[in-house]
Amino acid sequence: MHRFRRLSLAFAVAGVVGVAAPVAANATALVTISGATSSYPLVALLTAKYVKLHPHKIRFKVTQGGTTVGINDVKAGSVTIADVAQEPTSADAGLTFYPIAKYAICVITNKSNPVSNLTAAQVTSIFTGKTKEWSSALGGATAAGPITVFSRTSVAGVLTSFKSLLLEGKSVVSSATEEASEGLMRQAVESSPTGIGFVSNFQANKGGLNVASIGGVACNQSTAASGQYPGVSVFYEVTRGKATGAASAFINWVDSSASAKKIIESQWVAIPPAA
Amino acid sequence: MPLERLRKPWPDHRAERTLGAVSLLVGAVILAMVVFVTVRAWPIFEHNGLSWLGSGGNLEDEITRMTAASSNPTAADYHLRAWPVIYGALLTTGIALVLGLVLALLSSIFIVELAPARVRNVVIPVVRLLASVPSVIYGLIGILVLVPYVGNHLVTEQQRQSMQGTAQLTGESLLVAVVILTVMITPIMIALICEALTAVPPSWREGAIALGLNPLRAVRAVTLRAIRPAIVAAAVLATARALGEAVMISMVSGGKFFTPRPSDGVVFLYEPLRTLASTIVDYREGISSPPLGATIYSFAFLLLFAAFALSVAGYLVKLPLRKYQTRG
Repeated sequence: MHRFRRLSLAFAVAGVVGVAAPVAANATALVTISGATSSYPLVALLTAKYVKLHPHKIRFKVTQGGTTVGINDVKAGSVTIADVAQEPTSADAGLTFYPIAKYAICVITNKSNPVSNLTAAQVTSIFTGKTKEWSSALGGATAAGPITVFSRTSVAGVLTSFKSLLLEGKSVVSSATEEASEGLMRQAVESSPTGIGFVSNFQANKGGLNVASIGGVACNQSTAASGQYPGVSVFYEVTRGKATGAASAFINWVDSSASAKKIIESQWVAIPPAA
Repeated sequence: MPLERLRKPWPDHRAERTLGAVSLLVGAVILAMVVFVTVRAWPIFEHNGLSWLGSGGNLEDEITRMTAASSNPTAADYHLRAWPVIYGALLTTGIALVLGLVLALLSSIFIVELAPARVRNVVIPVVRLLASVPSVIYGLIGILVLVPYVGNHLVTEQQRQSMQGTAQLTGESLLVAVVILTVMITPIMIALICEALTAVPPSWREGAIALGLNPLRAVRAVTLRAIRPAIVAAAVLATARALGEAVMISMVSGGKFFTPRPSDGVVFLYEPLRTLASTIVDYREGISSPPLGATIYSFAFLLLFAAFALSVAGYLVKLPLRKYQTRG
């Protein structure tokens, strides 16, 4: 009898908490974000930190789907912020672009094939399949025979940026092997002596690979920050009109706070706060 | 009080109703899953009819177009011809099943009929253990050991040249996928077939030997015939696991929508491919693009349908074999 009463009390309490908690959560601001898969890891880290710093004040719902999906969603007003991994175009009138971070896309080869430097034209020619064989003219390559081109699956944001920044918008040769993630891309190039691929700078500079300079500029955080390196992609947060309310507070925090800068600089390149 | 009543032995009718409810729930969950996947996959059927199962398109281009589609896709964005991945799934599963079945039959006969008890007591637990190794571990072994070995030692310069412009022979290949798949599904079949073999009454085989057959022929004529339903059951389970294998295939099969061509000779084995399940893994990030999401769900639908068809086919094949059954 006693046990039953205690148990029913416990259930009642649990029920009240279960109903009340979501109600309380609804009182906080909800910011919805959709867009680029490439910047998703960064945005996920930033939003998680922001929620921790402002408990019970804000909630985020972050989904991926690609830059185009994000831009369409924010134009239609179905999300507050779009994650965008490409430069603004004329079709984006009425949207405000807030740059949040940069990263460089490096061209990588096998450790046994020390390609030191490629011209921008050589990179385009190799990845579009015009140059098919290794020769020492390609930045002092020591490999011989057909070039094995590794690319990424078409859902990868880094592939879209790579094409627009370093391939003059052209497509990677259709015979290229597609890898599903940056890690698999690294592994593929590490184990293929004739391989060439591309990864973001924080993956490239972990060692185990040869990273080629492009047009004489090495690929690393500092050349990306200075803007010398040609393959630098910028992540934007995009809103319809100017950002307002909770979204604006979040973007300001990303732009100026030390804790956001720390997260960005763990793997990406921070952008100096707007004057 | 209700709690005290629960603690007493249950009357039959209540136990029956509770167990019935639980099993109905399982059925309801499966039904809900099928309905959900079908609804999500529906746009693909709507725009392509059943011809999306066929060949004739360029899957690579179709998927790229779906990735770039806006959130208000046009009918053209849904265009899909999925034959390369269906072929990939059938090819890897088919070869692995044939290889695995032969290996499993021979080794189970050895384990049960010929091996000394000491060997048997070690081998059977080891086989059970192998059957439960997670597939991602096989994938890691594949990508760290087998793929570089095939790419750097088996594929020749000449073969690479011959395929230039169509597909790259990197070692991520049909060969590695099939080898690992075979290693994955054989232990399941051995475990099931061994169990069936031990259940055959020894008197049957003794009778055959008494009639003048030598031991191996007695195994073939009596024991193997008796366990045919178990062999079918083992093959169905193994096929289901092979068809649904996603992560391992995605890691070792070369990420390319390519249909390996047997007419290429040995190179056929080194050619890359994708299967239904591995494509789902490769393109999971694009699931929120409406056409690509529908495509992924349509592949899932096909896998669900295959699982259903397999169990029905297994049942139908077993029907005429009932008379050989040793138990029940």
